[in-house]
Amino acid sequence: MTLLDRNENDMAVVTSARTGAKKRTSHRRVDKTFYAFLLPGLVLFTLAITLPAVMGIFYSFTNSVGFGEFSFTGFINYIALFSDPSIRSAYGFTIGFALVTVAVVNAVAFLLAIGLTARIRAKVAMRAVFVLPMVVSGIVIAYAFNFLFSNSIPAAANALGFGPLESSLLANPNWAWVAIVIVTAWQAIPSTILIYIAGILAIPSDVYEAAALDGASAGRQLRSITVPLTAGYILINVIIGFKNFLNSYDIIVGLTNGGPGTSTTSIAMSIFQGFTNGDYAYQMANATIFFLIAIVIALLQLRTTRGRASL
Amino acid sequence: MNPKPPLPVPGLSRRSFLIGAGALGAGFALAGCAAPGGSASGVTEISFYVSKPEVIGYFDTLIAKFHKSQARVRVVRDSTSNMSADFVRNSPPDLGCWNYNFSVVEFVERGALSDLGDMPEAATINPDIKPLLKETADYPGRTSAIPYSLTAASVLYNKDLFTKYGVAVPTTYDDLVAACETFQKAGIAPFFNTYKDTWTIAQGLFDYTIGGMVDVPDFFKRLRAEGTKVDAASSVSFQKDFRSAMDRMVQLGSYANKNAASRGYGDGNLAFAKGEAAMYLQGPWALNEIAKTNAKMNVGTFPLPVTNDPKDLKVRVNVDLALWIPEASKKKEAARSFLSFLMQPEIQNTYNADNNAFGTTKNAPPTTNPALVGMQKYYDDAAFYLGASQIIPSEIPVANYAQSIALGSKPEPVLRQLDGDWSRLALRS
Repeated sequence: MTLLDRNENDMAVVTSARTGAKKRTSHRRVDKTFYAFLLPGLVLFTLAITLPAVMGIFYSFTNSVGFGEFSFTGFINYIALFSDPSIRSAYGFTIGFALVTVAVVNAVAFLLAIGLTARIRAKVAMRAVFVLPMVVSGIVIAYAFNFLFSNSIPAAANALGFGPLESSLLANPNWAWVAIVIVTAWQAIPSTILIYIAGILAIPSDVYEAAALDGASAGRQLRSITVPLTAGYILINVIIGFKNFLNSYDIIVGLTNGGPGTSTTSIAMSIFQGFTNGDYAYQMANATIFFLIAIVIALLQLRTTRGRASL
Repeated sequence: MNPKPPLPVPGLSRRSFLIGAGALGAGFALAGCAAPGGSASGVTEISFYVSKPEVIGYFDTLIAKFHKSQARVRVVRDSTSNMSADFVRNSPPDLGCWNYNFSVVEFVERGALSDLGDMPEAATINPDIKPLLKETADYPGRTSAIPYSLTAASVLYNKDLFTKYGVAVPTTYDDLVAACETFQKAGIAPFFNTYKDTWTIAQGLFDYTIGGMVDVPDFFKRLRAEGTKVDAASSVSFQKDFRSAMDRMVQLGSYANKNAASRGYGDGNLAFAKGEAAMYLQGPWALNEIAKTNAKMNVGTFPLPVTNDPKDLKVRVNVDLALWIPEASKKKEAARSFLSFLMQPEIQNTYNADNNAFGTTKNAPPTTNPALVGMQKYYDDAAFYLGASQIIPSEIPVANYAQSIALGSKPEPVLRQLDGDWSRLALRS
């Protein structure tokens, strides 16, 4: 819609410049068909997103289990929430995990994208291979890696006499998160690579030619041309990635199911447990807090990407 | 396939929104197709929920038998619905046949299940078993469910290995430790533990050590009376009352197979069937799985001794299946007729004998299963308890906590966390 709006405005500016008198009326009158196009989406969004969200916020002030009798409990759920170490640790784990994963994913994807846009053999085939993990479902990836971490890697480490990996990484409360970062990154890197490849290919080649003529080394070209000219893409990848990793669910369920203990329980997992464990109202309060955090991130995203090389 | 939380999750991608929108549209379309009822021809159709994977086929044959015996009620079996969601939508199954544990608490205590107290079947129930239901969940003045099948769990042991190394079935904790030492010296893992699947620890080491030492119903009664402040200073708490049981759990855990941390339930069944360990802390549900690998295996059962007094020996039980009819059902009479059919002694007793379980009625015959006879005495004497992990409300991730201890966390901070969780839950519910 924004694109349409902009055209509309541009046209309005052009017309107003030509015929000064018609200025305001012309760009106010929007064809009603546009609203008709909006309607189905709006109705579905209201029914499927807005209404449940409002109901969820309502229930967060009750002791409901999702059905049957309930009573209002005011802010008790929120008070219990802020004093609950398992909720705090879920937030701590999720945010820490998202930050680390964003860094890993973007660093690896950026380097791979540079490699995949360079003059190499079988470029297209290589790109296809690197993008493959994108089409596999997260839960399938997680179960496959679960087997690797629990059986194959310990067996290999045992044969090679490498002590630290002889027991499963997933069973170690201090290091299980590393396994989750690895698997999440493996799945998330392809889509990030695609955006970086698009960004790198959009840089005009004459900039590099000029730099090469001035004697800039490959490293200098990377630092002074590639990185600054793809800054917009980096920003978008970081923000989209961070938002996705905050919602992490399927890979964690398949790998550790929140364990060992509760050391890798993410926010989304603890919210979902509200449905399966009869903790509906309490986790609705949790979801409300999470929603507020997500709004802050979304606003941040809107602010930072506006005016920049937006996609 | 993608178990994303069905929530108003912010930052929903356009794709998942479209999928959701499509699903919603399809839902409307299907709702339009569904015929209301089906009573036009004098036949009432009821939905019957049973999800225990091992017995779905068994119940299908019972349904076929029921259809042959009468023509007025048709039963449609459902084993995939999400129970909470069904209740939220006010369209629960007409007859439920489900595990009676923490998962039914909300349905019972919010009055969502109808009273079956006036049915003749309610009067046939073994009085020793009724308190088990009440401890789990109760709605005052109602018989919310009729227990159908009781499973008793204790230590599964490899009789051949016990004979080979001259080890007698231990009845005291010291004997048990001595037996473990014997097996360890012989290079055989005394226990095969599977810490990767949290439920196996909760129902095994955790519940067995607590049940063998603590008066479980009394503990929870006193704990509930404590209100919203449970900590080291209160007269009863997890920290105080579970402490010595957890120390024994840690000690017994040291006799487990070395790779316990990365083994799951399936690995455990396989390894025990292959004779890789002498003892396995699993319930009778594992017997069929073990038989798949080693049909001729000589398996016995005994209650885990946790104290040095043989009088404390008890087995862990749970009401594996109970029958109930929701208040929201519009076909209660038809559902009751199928319930009565299932409760006929020849059908119920056959079910329990076929599925390694104990009966729930006063006249239930003793088990003839060689793997279970070791527990018959404790069943007859009502020397049984509900697992603590089944009574602690599901809002508290107790199985994960048990896993922490099994993997080497000190018990004190974990039990302190349990106390805190219990207090916060009492505050908000």
